[in-house]
Amino acid sequence: MSELREVISSGNDLAARAAVDAGCMFFGGYPLTPSSEIMHTISDLLPKVGGAAIQMEDEIGGVAAAIGAGMSGVRTLTATSGPGISLKAENLGLAQMCEVPLVVINVMRGGPSTGLPTRVSQGDIAQAKNPSHGDYKSITLCAGTLAECYTETVRAFNLADRFMQPVFVLLDETLGHMHAKAEIPTAETVKKGIVPRKKYEGKPEDYRPYDVAQDEPALLAPMFQGYRYNFTGLHHDADGFPTEEIETCRKLIDRLFRKVEEHKEEIESNEEYMLDDAEILLIGYGSASLAIKEAVNSLREEGIKVGLFRPITLWPSPEKRLYELGQKFDKVLSVELNQGQYLEEIQRAMGRKDIEKLTKTNGRPFSPADIINKVKEVF
Amino acid sequence: MSKIVMRFTGVGGQGVLLAGEIFAAAKIKAGGYGVKTATYTSQVRGGPTVVDIQLDDNEIWYPYAIDGQIDFMLSVADKSYQLFKSGVKEGGTIVIDPNLVTPSDEDRKKWNIVEIPIITIAKEEVGNVITQSVVALAIANTYTKALDEQLLIDTMLSKVPAKVHDVNKKAYELGKKYALESMK
Repeated sequence: MSELREVISSGNDLAARAAVDAGCMFFGGYPLTPSSEIMHTISDLLPKVGGAAIQMEDEIGGVAAAIGAGMSGVRTLTATSGPGISLKAENLGLAQMCEVPLVVINVMRGGPSTGLPTRVSQGDIAQAKNPSHGDYKSITLCAGTLAECYTETVRAFNLADRFMQPVFVLLDETLGHMHAKAEIPTAETVKKGIVPRKKYEGKPEDYRPYDVAQDEPALLAPMFQGYRYNFTGLHHDADGFPTEEIETCRKLIDRLFRKVEEHKEEIESNEEYMLDDAEILLIGYGSASLAIKEAVNSLREEGIKVGLFRPITLWPSPEKRLYELGQKFDKVLSVELNQGQYLEEIQRAMGRKDIEKLTKTNGRPFSPADIINKVKEVF
Repeated sequence: MSKIVMRFTGVGGQGVLLAGEIFAAAKIKAGGYGVKTATYTSQVRGGPTVVDIQLDDNEIWYPYAIDGQIDFMLSVADKSYQLFKSGVKEGGTIVIDPNLVTPSDEDRKKWNIVEIPIITIAKEEVGNVITQSVVALAIANTYTKALDEQLLIDTMLSKVPAKVHDVNKKAYELGKKYALESMK
């Protein structure tokens, strides 16, 4: 058991503190509501531990600087909201292609475009799966409690180094700004849990960073340490130099998929709340799950047996568990603050279309009554 | 203590957020659960702002106040008052600054509307308009008896710089005094 400490804080503040406790040494970004407090807090904390935070000229510069820090071997973070992810998308593709580890926090607000800057949404679920063009496998974690704003950020740094790619942490305006008590691991516990990226131990002349097993990430030595290789967004060979050789191109993209697909069990994380004896299955994630839990408790007081399945890792999705639940429950309701972006994945994983949905896209959170009324209406 | 739900409303820039954080932190220090959420608009200053505060001995999942369950509201801006008053339960107390908020006759029948010139007290009697959130804090706690007064004052002082402790203590005392007078 990890040791816990009690703190009174907001989700954004906790995410920034988590990054520093997890060994992050660089933040590159540009402030954007409702994520700005992450930058405020980390700008204060990083210089105290010998790290650096820089506000660049825009979101694109912010992620570019963060990727540069990742290339030189340190743990690195950028944070923004949906419109910022749109700007960062091209560089996120570069990080996927070059296999540079990086944590990207998106505190979701209403969209599309500038949308509803100060209001809550879960509209960036599909964006997190494929922010940039091309084929790769996203790793996306979604905090559903204040404590998870901390713990999922910590987990994201370890996953980024394990799989050598950007890892998304999704928060939303509600979680980012709400202020309450959270029980989180001590900084000492987090430090002990750090799993740094793999290190190349051989001779510099034998070093070939992209010559790895088909289910493994690139083995990148930090820059400026005597290992010669190349970074490019073009398809590349074992040394990172551009190539159009047929088999090399096939194997590269195949590996970007398989390094995640074949190790999904290391990434998957879910919560099951009151599911054991439930007759109705609710599926939701992020801050919407706070209203769902309240609704589950109220409905059970009335004798209606409902339970919640909450994916914490959204991508790759918990497709096996979703399939099992789809076999077990006739009555399924998906609840999300968008028009049904994750519903499509639930339908695919369950292999069924007859799933009820409750959606909201006016910038307001669900109230427990919204969910209670919907359950009574459709079941 | 059963659950207490409060709502502070004003316009952006007035500093009502801090009062909510102080309440939540003090309740947590006392061993319970406290949650503060704020809703504001993309207008930097002047947009309607609402802060919901829930204090409970049991764990709180849903972070926002539920309409119809609010025991106490305090408002220092008319547009926020009009937008958010409907969440207050019937017979609940609404403290307004009479220079800034204009309740209707029906409102006065539905709720216990109390007039305290919060901004004037902060500006003229305390001598610093920023202390209005502490005046509001004192009024809210005097009405709801939500928390031990000394604990609340200590928590408040821990969140403001030492050089303004005296002025904030004065703001608390004045808020309490006006609240007690309004109850007579």
